[in-house]
Amino acid sequence: MLIPRRVKHRKQHHPSRRGVAKGGTKVTFGEFGIQAMEPGYITNRQIEAARIAITRAIKRGGKVWINIYPDRPLTKKPAETRMGSGKGSPEWWIANVKPGRVMFELSGVSEPLAREAMQRAQHKLPIKTRFVKREAGEL
Amino acid sequence: MSEIAIAAERRTEFGKGAARRLRRAKLVPVVVYGHGEATQHLALPAHELMLALKQSNALLSLQLDDGAQLVLPKSVQRDPVRHTIEHVDLVAVRSGEKVTVEVVVTTEGKIAPGGLLEHVHDTITVEAEATKIPSELVVTIEGLEVGSSVHAGDVALPSGVVLLAEPELVLLHVLAAQSAEAEADEAADLAVAAAASEASAATSAATAEVEESD
Repeated sequence: MLIPRRVKHRKQHHPSRRGVAKGGTKVTFGEFGIQAMEPGYITNRQIEAARIAITRAIKRGGKVWINIYPDRPLTKKPAETRMGSGKGSPEWWIANVKPGRVMFELSGVSEPLAREAMQRAQHKLPIKTRFVKREAGEL
Repeated sequence: MSEIAIAAERRTEFGKGAARRLRRAKLVPVVVYGHGEATQHLALPAHELMLALKQSNALLSLQLDDGAQLVLPKSVQRDPVRHTIEHVDLVAVRSGEKVTVEVVVTTEGKIAPGGLLEHVHDTITVEAEATKIPSELVVTIEGLEVGSSVHAGDVALPSGVVLLAEPELVLLHVLAAQSAEAEADEAADLAVAAAASEASAATSAATAEVEESD
Protein backbone atom coordinates (compact mmCIF):
# COMPACT_ATOMS: atom_id res chain seq x y z
CA MET A 1 0.00 0.00 0.00
CA LEU A 2 1.24 3.50 -0.82
CA ILE A 3 2.39 5.44 2.25
CA PRO A 4 4.99 8.22 2.65
CA ARG A 5 8.27 7.02 4.08
CA ARG A 6 8.79 10.15 6.16
CA VAL A 7 6.74 13.33 6.67
CA LYS A 8 7.66 16.77 7.94
CA HIS A 9 4.49 17.16 10.03
CA ARG A 10 2.46 14.21 11.28
CA LYS A 11 -0.88 16.03 11.34
CA GLN A 12 -2.18 18.40 8.68
CA HIS A 13 -5.30 20.46 8.07
CA HIS A 14 -7.89 19.02 5.69
CA PRO A 15 -6.91 19.85 2.10
CA SER A 16 -9.23 22.06 0.02
CA ARG A 17 -11.88 20.39 -2.14
CA ARG A 18 -12.48 23.44 -4.31
CA GLY A 19 -11.42 24.00 -7.91
CA VAL A 20 -10.42 21.75 -10.78
CA ALA A 21 -7.20 19.92 -11.58
CA LYS A 22 -4.42 22.18 -12.87
CA GLY A 23 -2.38 19.41 -14.43
CA GLY A 24 -2.49 15.68 -15.05
CA THR A 25 -5.75 16.03 -16.95
CA LYS A 26 -4.67 14.02 -20.01
CA VAL A 27 -3.69 10.40 -20.55
CA THR A 28 0.10 10.74 -20.79
CA PHE A 29 1.77 7.38 -20.21
CA GLY A 30 -0.72 4.71 -21.28
CA GLU A 31 -3.53 4.44 -23.81
CA PHE A 32 -6.55 4.48 -21.47
CA GLY A 33 -7.29 6.14 -18.15
CA ILE A 34 -9.74 6.87 -15.35
CA GLN A 35 -10.55 10.57 -14.94
CA ALA A 36 -12.12 12.08 -11.82
CA MET A 37 -15.36 13.98 -12.43
CA GLU A 38 -15.77 15.37 -8.91
CA PRO A 39 -13.45 16.26 -6.02
CA GLY A 40 -12.66 13.75 -3.31
CA TYR A 41 -10.19 12.22 -0.93
CA ILE A 42 -8.85 8.89 -2.24
CA THR A 43 -7.25 6.75 0.47
CA ASN A 44 -4.26 4.50 -0.07
CA ARG A 45 -6.51 1.48 0.51
CA GLN A 46 -8.84 2.58 -2.28
CA ILE A 47 -5.89 3.16 -4.64
CA GLU A 48 -4.56 -0.32 -3.84
CA ALA A 49 -7.99 -1.91 -4.31
CA ALA A 50 -8.38 -0.23 -7.70
CA ARG A 51 -4.87 -1.32 -8.76
CA ILE A 52 -5.56 -4.92 -7.79
CA ALA A 53 -8.91 -4.82 -9.63
CA ILE A 54 -7.17 -3.63 -12.81
CA THR A 55 -4.27 -6.11 -12.69
CA ARG A 56 -6.62 -9.04 -11.98
CA ALA A 57 -8.95 -8.03 -14.81
CA ILE A 58 -6.18 -7.78 -17.41
CA LYS A 59 -4.63 -11.07 -16.13
CA ARG A 60 -1.30 -10.78 -18.00
CA GLY A 61 0.33 -8.30 -20.32
CA GLY A 62 -0.46 -4.64 -20.07
CA LYS A 63 1.02 -1.97 -17.83
CA VAL A 64 -0.69 0.09 -15.12
CA TRP A 65 0.29 3.58 -13.99
CA ILE A 66 -0.96 5.23 -10.78
CA ASN A 67 -0.80 9.00 -11.20
CA ILE A 68 -1.89 10.01 -7.70
CA TYR A 69 -0.07 9.57 -4.39
CA PRO A 70 -1.65 9.53 -0.90
CA ASP A 71 0.71 12.03 0.73
CA ARG A 72 -1.70 13.74 3.15
CA PRO A 73 -2.63 12.36 6.57
CA LEU A 74 -6.17 12.65 7.95
CA THR A 75 -6.72 12.35 11.68
CA LYS A 76 -9.55 10.92 13.75
CA LYS A 77 -10.43 11.14 17.42
CA PRO A 78 -11.38 7.87 19.11
CA ALA A 79 -15.09 7.08 19.59
CA GLU A 80 -16.82 8.31 22.77
CA THR A 81 -14.11 10.85 23.50
CA ARG A 82 -14.88 14.32 24.84
CA MET A 83 -13.96 17.23 22.56
CA GLY A 84 -10.69 19.04 23.16
CA SER A 85 -7.37 17.62 24.36
CA GLY A 86 -5.72 18.23 21.02
CA LYS A 87 -5.99 16.85 17.52
CA GLY A 88 -6.72 13.16 16.96
CA SER A 89 -4.21 10.61 15.73
CA PRO A 90 -3.45 9.98 12.03
CA GLU A 91 -5.93 7.45 10.66
CA TRP A 92 -5.77 7.59 6.86
CA TRP A 93 -3.41 8.64 4.08
CA ILE A 94 -5.23 10.35 1.26
CA ALA A 95 -4.67 11.87 -2.17
CA ASN A 96 -6.63 15.09 -2.71
CA VAL A 97 -8.17 14.61 -6.16
CA LYS A 98 -9.77 17.45 -8.11
CA PRO A 99 -12.18 17.09 -11.07
CA GLY A 100 -10.37 16.38 -14.34
CA ARG A 101 -7.46 14.48 -12.80
CA VAL A 102 -6.42 11.27 -14.60
CA MET A 103 -5.78 8.89 -11.68
CA PHE A 104 -4.95 5.54 -13.33
CA GLU A 105 -3.59 4.69 -16.76
CA LEU A 106 -3.38 1.42 -18.64
CA SER A 107 -1.73 0.25 -21.87
CA GLY A 108 -0.97 -2.93 -23.77
CA VAL A 109 -4.52 -4.33 -23.75
CA SER A 110 -7.49 -4.12 -26.12
CA GLU A 111 -10.08 -1.40 -25.55
CA PRO A 112 -12.93 -3.72 -24.47
CA LEU A 113 -10.66 -5.35 -21.86
CA ALA A 114 -9.38 -1.95 -20.73
CA ARG A 115 -12.96 -0.71 -20.32
CA GLU A 116 -13.86 -3.74 -18.21
CA ALA A 117 -10.72 -3.46 -16.07
CA MET A 118 -11.26 0.25 -15.53
CA GLN A 119 -14.92 -0.29 -14.65
CA ARG A 120 -13.89 -2.74 -11.93
CA ALA A 121 -11.45 -0.13 -10.60
CA GLN A 122 -14.07 2.63 -10.81
CA HIS A 123 -16.30 0.61 -8.45
CA LYS A 124 -13.51 0.77 -5.84
CA LEU A 125 -13.33 4.57 -5.89
CA PRO A 126 -15.51 6.92 -3.81
CA ILE A 127 -16.07 9.54 -6.55
CA LYS A 128 -17.73 9.76 -9.94
CA THR A 129 -15.21 8.93 -12.67
CA ARG A 130 -15.11 8.29 -16.41
CA PHE A 131 -13.09 6.19 -18.85
CA VAL A 132 -10.83 8.26 -21.13
CA LYS A 133 -8.56 7.48 -24.06
CA ARG A 134 -5.27 8.98 -25.16
CA GLU A 135 -5.63 11.72 -27.76
CA ALA A 136 -2.27 11.99 -29.49
CA GLY A 137 -1.22 15.41 -30.72
CA GLU A 138 -4.14 17.26 -29.17
CA LEU A 139 -3.21 20.77 -28.17
CA MET B 1 -3.47 20.40 -45.76
CA SER B 2 -6.32 22.61 -46.93
CA GLU B 3 -7.35 25.78 -45.13
CA ILE B 4 -10.42 25.86 -42.92
CA ALA B 5 -12.31 29.14 -43.26
CA ILE B 6 -13.81 30.51 -40.03
CA ALA B 7 -15.66 33.81 -39.63
CA ALA B 8 -13.98 35.97 -36.97
CA GLU B 9 -15.01 39.16 -35.23
CA ARG B 10 -12.86 41.65 -33.38
CA ARG B 11 -13.20 41.97 -29.62
CA THR B 12 -13.64 45.37 -28.06
CA GLU B 13 -14.24 44.31 -24.44
CA PHE B 14 -11.59 42.54 -22.38
CA GLY B 15 -11.33 40.80 -19.03
CA LYS B 16 -13.01 37.74 -17.53
CA GLY B 17 -16.51 39.27 -17.54
CA ALA B 18 -16.38 39.98 -21.28
CA ALA B 19 -14.76 36.58 -21.96
CA ARG B 20 -17.52 34.80 -20.04
CA ARG B 21 -20.21 36.75 -21.95
CA LEU B 22 -18.56 35.61 -25.21
CA ARG B 23 -18.50 31.97 -24.07
CA ARG B 24 -22.18 32.17 -23.13
CA ALA B 25 -22.86 33.43 -26.67
CA LYS B 26 -21.08 30.28 -28.03
CA LEU B 27 -17.94 32.18 -29.05
CA VAL B 28 -14.33 31.56 -28.01
CA PRO B 29 -11.91 34.42 -27.25
CA VAL B 30 -8.67 34.04 -29.21
CA VAL B 31 -5.51 36.05 -29.76
CA VAL B 32 -3.49 36.21 -32.97
CA TYR B 33 0.18 37.19 -32.92
CA GLY B 34 3.29 36.76 -35.00
CA HIS B 35 5.60 38.50 -37.50
CA GLY B 36 6.30 41.25 -34.96
CA GLU B 37 2.88 42.82 -35.51
CA ALA B 38 0.44 44.02 -32.86
CA THR B 39 -1.60 41.28 -31.16
CA GLN B 40 -5.16 40.96 -32.45
CA HIS B 41 -7.99 40.04 -30.07
CA LEU B 42 -10.72 38.09 -31.86
CA ALA B 43 -13.72 35.88 -31.15
CA LEU B 44 -14.47 32.69 -33.13
CA PRO B 45 -17.59 30.50 -33.18
CA ALA B 46 -17.04 27.72 -30.62
CA HIS B 47 -18.51 24.78 -32.59
CA GLU B 48 -16.66 25.51 -35.85
CA LEU B 49 -13.41 26.02 -33.93
CA MET B 50 -13.88 22.75 -32.01
CA LEU B 51 -14.44 20.85 -35.29
CA ALA B 52 -11.42 22.53 -36.93
CA LEU B 53 -9.10 21.75 -33.99
CA LYS B 54 -9.97 18.03 -34.13
CA GLN B 55 -7.11 17.70 -36.64
CA SER B 56 -3.67 18.61 -35.38
CA ASN B 57 -1.93 21.67 -36.88
CA ALA B 58 -5.11 22.75 -38.66
CA LEU B 59 -4.44 25.71 -40.94
CA LEU B 60 -7.23 28.23 -40.30
CA SER B 61 -8.21 31.10 -42.55
CA LEU B 62 -9.85 33.77 -40.38
CA GLN B 63 -12.42 35.76 -42.34
CA LEU B 64 -12.27 39.31 -41.00
CA ASP B 65 -13.97 42.47 -42.30
CA ASP B 66 -10.67 43.74 -43.67
CA GLY B 67 -9.52 40.48 -45.34
CA ALA B 68 -8.43 36.95 -44.51
CA GLN B 69 -5.63 35.92 -42.14
CA LEU B 70 -3.89 32.52 -42.17
CA VAL B 71 -3.15 31.17 -38.69
CA LEU B 72 -1.94 28.02 -36.95
CA PRO B 73 -3.00 27.00 -33.42
CA LYS B 74 -0.22 27.49 -30.87
CA SER B 75 -1.92 26.74 -27.55
CA VAL B 76 -5.45 25.63 -26.63
CA GLN B 77 -6.92 26.01 -23.14
CA ARG B 78 -9.70 23.51 -22.42
CA ASP B 79 -11.96 22.87 -19.46
CA PRO B 80 -10.52 19.66 -17.93
CA VAL B 81 -13.94 18.17 -17.21
CA ARG B 82 -16.25 19.38 -19.98
CA HIS B 83 -13.42 19.53 -22.55
CA THR B 84 -14.83 22.76 -24.02
CA ILE B 85 -12.39 25.25 -25.55
CA GLU B 86 -11.89 28.31 -23.33
CA HIS B 87 -9.18 30.23 -25.16
CA VAL B 88 -6.84 29.73 -28.11
CA ASP B 89 -3.51 31.29 -29.04
CA LEU B 90 -3.07 31.50 -32.82
CA VAL B 91 0.12 32.29 -34.72
CA ALA B 92 -0.13 34.33 -37.91
CA VAL B 93 1.53 32.62 -40.89
CA ARG B 94 1.96 33.43 -44.57
CA SER B 95 1.38 31.04 -47.43
CA GLY B 96 4.66 29.28 -48.25
CA GLU B 97 6.32 30.35 -44.98
CA LYS B 98 8.35 27.69 -43.15
CA VAL B 99 7.02 26.97 -39.67
CA THR B 100 8.13 24.74 -36.79
CA VAL B 101 5.37 22.39 -35.66
CA GLU B 102 4.80 19.21 -33.67
CA VAL B 103 3.48 16.41 -35.89
CA VAL B 104 1.77 13.31 -34.54
CA VAL B 105 3.52 9.96 -35.06
CA THR B 106 1.15 7.03 -35.64
CA THR B 107 1.96 3.34 -35.93
CA GLU B 108 0.88 0.61 -38.34
CA GLY B 109 1.33 -3.15 -37.99
CA LYS B 110 1.74 -5.34 -34.92
CA ILE B 111 4.79 -5.90 -32.75
CA ALA B 112 6.21 -9.38 -32.04
CA PRO B 113 4.21 -11.41 -29.48
CA GLY B 114 5.31 -11.04 -25.86
CA GLY B 115 6.08 -7.34 -26.22
CA LEU B 116 4.39 -4.21 -24.94
CA LEU B 117 4.61 -1.06 -27.06
CA GLU B 118 5.49 2.03 -25.06
CA HIS B 119 4.88 5.45 -26.63
CA VAL B 120 7.75 7.53 -25.24
CA HIS B 121 6.95 10.53 -27.48
CA ASP B 122 3.73 11.03 -29.45
CA THR B 123 4.95 13.86 -31.62
CA ILE B 124 8.15 15.08 -33.27
CA THR B 125 9.25 18.60 -34.08
CA VAL B 126 9.60 19.28 -37.79
CA GLU B 127 9.95 22.27 -40.08
CA ALA B 128 7.53 22.46 -43.00
CA GLU B 129 5.72 24.91 -45.22
CA ALA B 130 2.65 26.28 -43.44
CA THR B 131 0.37 25.03 -46.22
CA LYS B 132 2.02 21.60 -46.49
CA ILE B 133 2.18 20.36 -42.89
CA PRO B 134 1.68 16.57 -42.80
CA SER B 135 -1.34 15.57 -40.71
CA GLU B 136 0.58 12.57 -39.32
CA LEU B 137 3.80 10.60 -39.78
CA VAL B 138 3.37 6.85 -40.03
CA VAL B 139 5.90 4.41 -38.56
CA THR B 140 5.77 0.68 -39.38
CA ILE B 141 6.24 -1.47 -36.29
CA GLU B 142 5.50 -4.86 -37.87
CA GLY B 143 7.40 -7.59 -36.02
CA LEU B 144 9.35 -5.21 -33.75
CA GLU B 145 11.15 -7.36 -31.14
CA VAL B 146 11.33 -6.85 -27.36
CA GLY B 147 14.03 -4.31 -26.47
CA SER B 148 14.02 -2.55 -29.83
CA SER B 149 13.17 1.13 -30.28
CA VAL B 150 12.09 3.52 -33.01
CA HIS B 151 13.97 6.82 -33.08
CA ALA B 152 13.02 10.17 -34.61
CA GLY B 153 15.67 9.66 -37.27
CA ASP B 154 13.94 6.43 -38.41
CA VAL B 155 10.73 8.22 -39.42
CA ALA B 156 10.28 8.66 -43.18
CA LEU B 157 9.51 12.34 -43.81
CA PRO B 158 7.63 13.66 -46.86
CA SER B 159 9.53 15.97 -49.22
CA GLY B 160 9.83 19.54 -47.94
CA VAL B 161 9.66 18.45 -44.30
CA VAL B 162 12.86 18.73 -42.21
CA LEU B 163 13.39 16.99 -38.88
CA LEU B 164 14.28 19.43 -36.09
CA ALA B 165 14.14 16.97 -33.18
CA GLU B 166 17.23 15.02 -32.14
CA PRO B 167 17.56 12.00 -34.48
CA GLU B 168 18.32 9.82 -31.42
CA LEU B 169 15.05 10.83 -29.70
CA VAL B 170 13.21 7.62 -28.75
CA LEU B 171 9.60 7.63 -30.01
CA LEU B 172 8.56 4.03 -29.42
CA HIS B 173 10.05 1.29 -27.30
CA VAL B 174 9.04 -2.37 -27.00
CA LEU B 175 9.04 -3.64 -23.41
CA ALA B 176 8.75 -7.26 -22.32
CA ALA B 177 5.15 -7.89 -21.24
CA GLN B 178 4.92 -8.96 -17.60
CA SER B 179 4.22 -12.63 -16.98
CA ALA B 180 1.75 -13.83 -14.31
CA GLU B 181 4.65 -15.02 -12.08
CA ALA B 182 6.41 -11.68 -12.27
CA GLU B 183 3.17 -9.94 -11.33
CA ALA B 184 2.73 -12.25 -8.34
CA ASP B 185 6.33 -11.51 -7.26
CA GLU B 186 5.72 -7.79 -7.61
CA ALA B 187 2.53 -8.00 -5.55
CA ALA B 188 4.41 -9.91 -2.83
CA ASP B 189 7.19 -7.28 -2.87
CA LEU B 190 4.62 -4.50 -2.56
CA ALA B 191 2.96 -6.24 0.39
CA VAL B 192 6.32 -6.62 2.16
CA ALA B 193 7.23 -2.98 1.45
CA ALA B 194 3.84 -1.80 2.73
CA ALA B 195 4.18 -3.82 5.92
CA ALA B 196 7.68 -2.42 6.48
CA SER B 197 6.60 1.17 5.86
CA GLU B 198 3.57 0.80 8.13
CA ALA B 199 5.81 -0.56 10.86
CA SER B 200 8.27 2.31 10.44
CA ALA B 201 5.40 4.84 10.41
CA ALA B 202 4.03 3.33 13.63
CA THR B 203 7.49 3.49 15.21
CA SER B 204 8.00 7.11 14.16
CA ALA B 205 4.51 7.98 15.44
CA ALA B 206 5.30 6.38 18.78
CA THR B 207 8.63 8.23 18.92
CA ALA B 208 6.92 11.53 18.11
CA GLU B 209 4.32 10.93 20.80
CA VAL B 210 7.08 10.21 23.29
CA GLU B 211 8.86 13.42 22.24
CA GLU B 212 5.63 15.39 22.54
CA SER B 213 4.92 13.99 26.01
CA ASP B 214 8.47 14.87 27.09
